[in-house]
Amino acid sequence: MAFSNRPSDDTFFVESDQPSHRISARDAAKMIARNKQEVLANELSRLACDEYLEDIMQHMRHMEDETLPDANLIDMQREIQWFMRPYLVDFLIEAHAAFSLLPETLFLTVNLLDRYCSKRVVYKQHYQLVGCAALLIAAKYGDKKDRVPQINELNNMCCGLYDAGMFTQMEMHVLNTLDWNIGHPTVDFFTQLIVAEERDSREVEHMAAYICEIALYHRDFVSTKPSIMARASLALARAILLKPEVNDGEWDHTENVTLLTLSQHLHQPSVTLSRKYSNPYYSKVSGKLADFLAQQAAIARRGAPLSPPCETTLSSKANNVYSTPQKGFGSMPGVADGYMTPPITPDGACFGQNGMMKDYQAPPRCPVTPTPQPNHMSAYPQHMVAGPSYYEGTSSHMSY
Amino acid sequence: MDGKRHPSSFQQLEKLGEGTYATVFKGRNRQTGELVALKEIHLDSEEGTPSTAIREISLMKELKHDNIVALHDVIHTENKLMLVFEYMDGDLKKYMDTSGDRGALKPMVIKSFMYQLLKGIDFCHKNRVLHRDLKPQNLLINSKGALKLGDFGLARAFGIPVNTFSNEVVTLWYRAPDVLLGSRTYNTSIDIWSAGCIMAEMYTGRPLFPGTTNEDQIVRIFRIMGTPTERTWPGLSQFPEYKTTWQMYATQGLQTILPQIDPAGIDLLQRMLQLRPELRTSAHDALQHPWFNDLMQPQQQQHHQPQQPMMQPHRGYQQTVPSQATYDGY
Repeated sequence: MAFSNRPSDDTFFVESDQPSHRISARDAAKMIARNKQEVLANELSRLACDEYLEDIMQHMRHMEDETLPDANLIDMQREIQWFMRPYLVDFLIEAHAAFSLLPETLFLTVNLLDRYCSKRVVYKQHYQLVGCAALLIAAKYGDKKDRVPQINELNNMCCGLYDAGMFTQMEMHVLNTLDWNIGHPTVDFFTQLIVAEERDSREVEHMAAYICEIALYHRDFVSTKPSIMARASLALARAILLKPEVNDGEWDHTENVTLLTLSQHLHQPSVTLSRKYSNPYYSKVSGKLADFLAQQAAIARRGAPLSPPCETTLSSKANNVYSTPQKGFGSMPGVADGYMTPPITPDGACFGQNGMMKDYQAPPRCPVTPTPQPNHMSAYPQHMVAGPSYYEGTSSHMSY
Repeated sequence: MDGKRHPSSFQQLEKLGEGTYATVFKGRNRQTGELVALKEIHLDSEEGTPSTAIREISLMKELKHDNIVALHDVIHTENKLMLVFEYMDGDLKKYMDTSGDRGALKPMVIKSFMYQLLKGIDFCHKNRVLHRDLKPQNLLINSKGALKLGDFGLARAFGIPVNTFSNEVVTLWYRAPDVLLGSRTYNTSIDIWSAGCIMAEMYTGRPLFPGTTNEDQIVRIFRIMGTPTERTWPGLSQFPEYKTTWQMYATQGLQTILPQIDPAGIDLLQRMLQLRPELRTSAHDALQHPWFNDLMQPQQQQHHQPQQPMMQPHRGYQQTVPSQATYDGY
């Protein structure tokens, strides 16, 4: 039912709180039919589950290991650096939404990108091209044919940065580098299973998806197994939405660490991403997460004695703490003056509308909109941002 | 897979078949002399690598099994992609046409083929792959009596819960009724229906439901299997293609239409040709069916061996496969 998880093209990022008030008889009948079809689908799933789940899980666990990117190898890239990642992920999230691709296609795209970057040296002017090739391959693998992006459309989104022929060339290069092993169990696969098992609400599912997409921005989760990510993100989503914990067995060390690390990366999600998840279709979970964090902060503030603004200490600390700097930490060398071929972050105005392709065509030079350093960092008490000590060892790549 | 391998490592022999997106040639490895099938896929500069090729190659790399045609290599040149498959002598369709009695095969051959077909399907499903285009043309046969699933161009990985798919899959004659009725949430049962149709066809030499249109296909199925009602198939009226105008046919016994099949075979066929997908048997269960009991003895010993001796106990089967067979089952 992955298809039903996505809004139709024109509802993306368009805030409309009121669904049409009058539902015609035909729509009502359609809705009933759709519900019945869903019941049938669930029944079919249950049957396929009973019959093949064990075998499939075994296969998926094997594939999961086989297709895990290696963040340590990506560390060794000379040109592309982790601070560039959020720009590219923003671009991919927007492109993925613009083409209304399946949810799992986004995760597969980033997996292909990271696997490629674990194997080949990537020049920074090609980073976005690799991202586009990965998106293309992922869409061709999983999406319906008529949804697969056209190369000229992708080219327009990159503002004509590359020759059209470079997309097909890079696509083939990625396919050959990955030895044509495209299948990868995405976090989605495991999330769907757990949601069905635990009967989680749509809201929890959306919150978990939001958390998983936040994780795409960070180095810490590049080599995290999707099955672990699914479990941790759902547990976190339930906690944020104040749903009861579920009894899902033992948690091992890696899973606990993933959960903890995730909880520390929820602040300052990408603007692009939080806008996507502000849509009612996604139960407006980005707003709910922000409220939750603000509430937590308020509680902590009330508990703590009056303290001087902690902005300075925080930002210096944060630079050490966050292994993957977010856009907000744009004060790092290199970012302020821009790098040669920044992935594009189109501004909201032309986003999500049908005319967006047109808007992309026009300028040969693209607007780059790095999000300014958010000041509200100071709103969060120290303990919300500060990481545990195991972080300290992982920040070596910051020295690039 | 060595991307640097050159197409010239293979001597191109006669053309075996031509599909919409690929041409298949017989080939010979110049170094080893081994025969191969070369599937050439033209690369469009506009579109890049076709999605069919991406799915086919990546899925086949996951599916290494005796009853699935092996993909040896992928060779990429400027404007084409060459897939190197193990060589098979022909496809089931051609085999029935040339070796069968007006298309009909001998019961023990059918049993062996069905067993191998279900083995291949079972392996796909265990690896969460739906073939989605099973038909005699896509089942490859060699002279040792091995049967292997080929042409994974329409195959795709499924999720649990089942995803929504296009219902434009499977050649009409082998398409499951729920798919014909517009269901987009089919699962493994879609391949089982096709297997049932193929079993009947091997007995008679003619397709069981040779429909001309979607509508006609549905009617042909109902004429034999009986027209379902909301009572016999809860949820039926919710399908997009549901019609209140269907003529009501009574169920005909499969044994009356297919008298040449023994009772155990009819029982298995009945389980595969259930209109309701949730009632259709699975490949795993079908393989346990008593109909296969008299195949079991050679089977059991060769669990850990290559599969070729399967046909040998059945002396009746030594029909050779014509070497000139053309096919496009890759």
